[in-house]
Amino acid sequence: MPDLTSIPARALIASLLAAVVIALVVWLGRIPIKYNLRNLVVRWKTTLLTAAAFMLVILLLTVMLAFVNGMSRLTQTSGKPGNVLVMSEGSTDEAFSNLSKSSIEDVGNQPGVLRENSRPVWSRETYVVVNQPVVDPAPRRPTRRLLQVRGVEDSAVSGRVHGLKLCPGGEWISAIGTREIPAAAGGPAGGINTASEALIGEGIAREMARDRTDAARAKARDPERMAIGDTLLIANRPCIIVGIIQSSGATFDSEVWVKSTVVKEAFRKEAYTSLVLSTKDAESAQQLRDYLNTSYKKASLLAVTETDYYNGLSATNKQFLIATIIVAAIVAVGGVLGVMNTMFAAISLRTKDIAVLRIIGFRRWQILVSFTLESMAIALLGGLLGLGVGLLCDGWTATSVVSSGQGGGGKFVVLKLVVDARILGTGMLLALAMGFFGGLLPAVMGAIRLKPLEALR
Amino acid sequence: MKFLLLIFKNVRRNLLRSILTALGTMVLVLVVTLVWTVLKALDTATTEKSQNFKMICSEQWRFPSMMPISYATLLRDGGARDAGDARPIDFMTWQFYVGTTDPNKHTFESSLFAFAMDPNKLMAMMDDLDSLPANDAARFAQVVAKLKANKRGLIVGKDRLAMIKKQVGDKFKLTGINFKGIDLEFEIVGVFPSGRYNLSAAMNDTYLNDSLDAYKTADGKPHELADKSLALVWLKVPDMETYHKVEQQIAKALGNANPAVKCETASSGIASFLEAYRDLIWGMRWLLSPAIIITLALVIANAISISVRERRTELAVMKVLGFRPVQIMVLVLGEALLLGVGAGVASAGLTYLAVNYIWGGLPFSIAFFPAFLIPINALWWGLAIGAGASLAGSIVPAWNAQSVKVSEVFSKVT
Amino acid sequence: MNQASSIVSVRHVHKFFRRGSERVDVLNGLSLDVLPGECLGLMGPSGSGKTTLLNLIAGLDTPSEGEVWVGGKLVSQMSEGELAHWRTRSIGFVFQFYHLLPVLTAYENVELPLLLLPLKSAQRRQQVQTALELVGLKDRMWHRPGQLSGGQQQRVGIARAIVTDPELIVADEPTGDLDAKSAQEILDLLIELRRSLQKTILLVTHDPRAAARADRVLHLDKGQLVTDSPVLV
Repeated sequence: MPDLTSIPARALIASLLAAVVIALVVWLGRIPIKYNLRNLVVRWKTTLLTAAAFMLVILLLTVMLAFVNGMSRLTQTSGKPGNVLVMSEGSTDEAFSNLSKSSIEDVGNQPGVLRENSRPVWSRETYVVVNQPVVDPAPRRPTRRLLQVRGVEDSAVSGRVHGLKLCPGGEWISAIGTREIPAAAGGPAGGINTASEALIGEGIAREMARDRTDAARAKARDPERMAIGDTLLIANRPCIIVGIIQSSGATFDSEVWVKSTVVKEAFRKEAYTSLVLSTKDAESAQQLRDYLNTSYKKASLLAVTETDYYNGLSATNKQFLIATIIVAAIVAVGGVLGVMNTMFAAISLRTKDIAVLRIIGFRRWQILVSFTLESMAIALLGGLLGLGVGLLCDGWTATSVVSSGQGGGGKFVVLKLVVDARILGTGMLLALAMGFFGGLLPAVMGAIRLKPLEALR
Repeated sequence: MKFLLLIFKNVRRNLLRSILTALGTMVLVLVVTLVWTVLKALDTATTEKSQNFKMICSEQWRFPSMMPISYATLLRDGGARDAGDARPIDFMTWQFYVGTTDPNKHTFESSLFAFAMDPNKLMAMMDDLDSLPANDAARFAQVVAKLKANKRGLIVGKDRLAMIKKQVGDKFKLTGINFKGIDLEFEIVGVFPSGRYNLSAAMNDTYLNDSLDAYKTADGKPHELADKSLALVWLKVPDMETYHKVEQQIAKALGNANPAVKCETASSGIASFLEAYRDLIWGMRWLLSPAIIITLALVIANAISISVRERRTELAVMKVLGFRPVQIMVLVLGEALLLGVGAGVASAGLTYLAVNYIWGGLPFSIAFFPAFLIPINALWWGLAIGAGASLAGSIVPAWNAQSVKVSEVFSKVT
Repeated sequence: MNQASSIVSVRHVHKFFRRGSERVDVLNGLSLDVLPGECLGLMGPSGSGKTTLLNLIAGLDTPSEGEVWVGGKLVSQMSEGELAHWRTRSIGFVFQFYHLLPVLTAYENVELPLLLLPLKSAQRRQQVQTALELVGLKDRMWHRPGQLSGGQQQRVGIARAIVTDPELIVADEPTGDLDAKSAQEILDLLIELRRSLQKTILLVTHDPRAAARADRVLHLDKGQLVTDSPVLV
């Protein structure tokens, strides 16, 4: 299968190329383009009607591609090149991995793993997906949520391994890992007043805030997102947010971090799921990965570089990209048929004009090109409008799932829609292609088949 | 009647334009039909039902759910102990067995996900399989009978079958992925009806559980997942009242047992899964579909206004002949409607036939729905979209047509 | 008359069309010459073949038999591409119904044929303005055809015909759609242009008053020349 993600890059080049070719044709080819453009202005209602259809098609394409693009950015930027992720052999995903404490003790001492104060720089993690009831859900919202919880030994070290920062005012989870719930927070029911400390990703903090009722929102510290001091329940255990993980455009945006012990006690999970090792650079990471997979015999492990792991979570991206391409292609056919109507009508209304142009000395191909360009000009207008409106969706956040397509193990993510130059190029190219194909057939029929003398009679 | 004929003749007059417009309508209706098929299926799956619905019991906190198999007996009775307790109408237990045909390099293509369950429950409790059309039901009942008769039998979805390159009747071995060390021999006894289970498989739960027992005998100690092998228990209850009673009975019966169990209606269980796709579904419903329908209305509006403009003289003549403005409006609207509805219904019908009978479902996998079948209602959608878009698109041109001024038109024709 | 000195030379031209299985002869072995600077009138009843003859000379059509020479070039043998190229430079057309492009201004209509020539835009502007000045429409050059009277539109048509400085201007019933006064003005203009610019004009008409302005009038009937005589003024 061709690499679908590389299509947009080619599209940008292609649409620039198309623009150059068109400019050259007009400049060198002595095309009566002014005449065609003037007609578009005079018949502005039809022009706008046709362009509006183009606008919608391109707008759809832009938004859908921006969504897929957001997902791709997420899987491509998650993960540090120097990190190696270790799971138990045969695991298709973190969620299904099982690493006993003893089996990984020695992994940190292997060559290539960075050391600090004679201890390995690593993050031992227990990743679970929690089926969490939504407390007091807003009307018509689900009553449960799948929350991604990562138990870590020392959040500050893990944060450093993953290159994460906290938003200002936040603190990493303390050594004790629990603190009193301030009276103002109105601790959870049952008179419990200590809570486990938790960190929350910016993305999921926003998501959870959306699920609050209006009343709860009115009282909230921050109506837009969960804030430091807010509490949540993880497997019936009260947790208090002590820090918000700054959005890094990675899957960690959608996670809650607690101390490993919290996860272990709550979920009967004695083992770790994942072990992330820091190395000097990408090259050392690859060496360490190969070594752990082939030569390390103390435990059956599956090591992947972190970048590869997240890149592998792109099956859903590909699926959506394919769906986007198919939908856009079919809708584009509709647009092409629409502009064909416009151009057929335009040409049949203007057979006399064409005849005069021919008699004056314009050649068939010049007429053909000029009418095709007329159609493409409509497309250009519609395309620009579509892209312009589409640009507004840049930066929107949306939820989705990234997965490796290996069955299960998808990660819920909060992503940002990204409209970039490649999408603009793709949109423009599609618009121009639609204009081209929609204009070509009528132009051929009009320009080639027309007999000037008969048309003027 | 004469009027209809006139409308029909107008559609035929500029055949090229009518064909282009109809084709445009068809492709756009095609996309909307596909999108609505997905939305409709998800809506149906997540709509709470009040009677004879299914509920799911699973591990309270963790996903994926892993409960001791010993919970099964308690859960399937809905926690009922006494004579007066509420009992579910039916039940089904699900264990999951994941294996690979290629132990050295297991990829998605070489692996197989099977529901380990009681074959008797396949057509009684499984979504979609419990409501098969008569023909399919009779055919599938034979497949189920074979599974019952063969402990090592396996029913596989057609896409998965193609993926692992096997055929009905093949015998093969799977290496356990989730149950490590539990490698099983299977014989494929049949295929699921096309649709939701295209990528799935079903096996006898007795085979899995016997194998787990055998592992213990051979190895001296139980398999590490032996007490975590039960994924879900499905219960069918007659009404909400029973549902709540059953939920309380289960909570009471389990007490403080670890892991705790939660009950939810099947629809809310699915809803929490689909929550991840919330924005995607929102976009399909409120951006994609409307944008395509508006595009369609624009395409039709364009075609109809062109044809009205070309016929101004003729419309003026009709006015002179005594046609009333309303009749002229109806003429134009009728032309659009005929095109839109005809193309819309044709498109939905063709989509229905092509997707369901040629492709065996729309392969857009979301959550655990691998494919979607176009509902027969799509014909109505085609009609509604075609009618709506063509009316919306032709109302302005129709108005322009009826307000044609005879004097203006004829003064131009000199 | 001497072929070498004439600007248009038609030699033994036949033209027939097929209508189903029937052959319709329009021109039957016709020959004629036009001298440089001459204004030649072509008259005849409908269907006599005068427009067909004009089209052959202007390179819009090719004869079934015979040769057409214009300005020393064998027009009847040119390919369609060559014809288009040649027409732009050598022939100016004036039509009965003006045939201006309705969406373009008078200026742009006149400019149209110049787009096909390798001219700088300043040169183009110069030529268009001169042409419009010559037909007396300089003050109206930003009007569209719809905003002009019939006579004015025909003036724009004439300006378009002369703007490329062609050797030959062909006019097919240039006054056919005009009232008597406008027709008179258009004819005056054509004759004046012929004089001042030394153009050759081929004028097809069935209006005797128009024909009266020509140096010489040829009468066609059933595809053949009936008379070839200077008009008596």
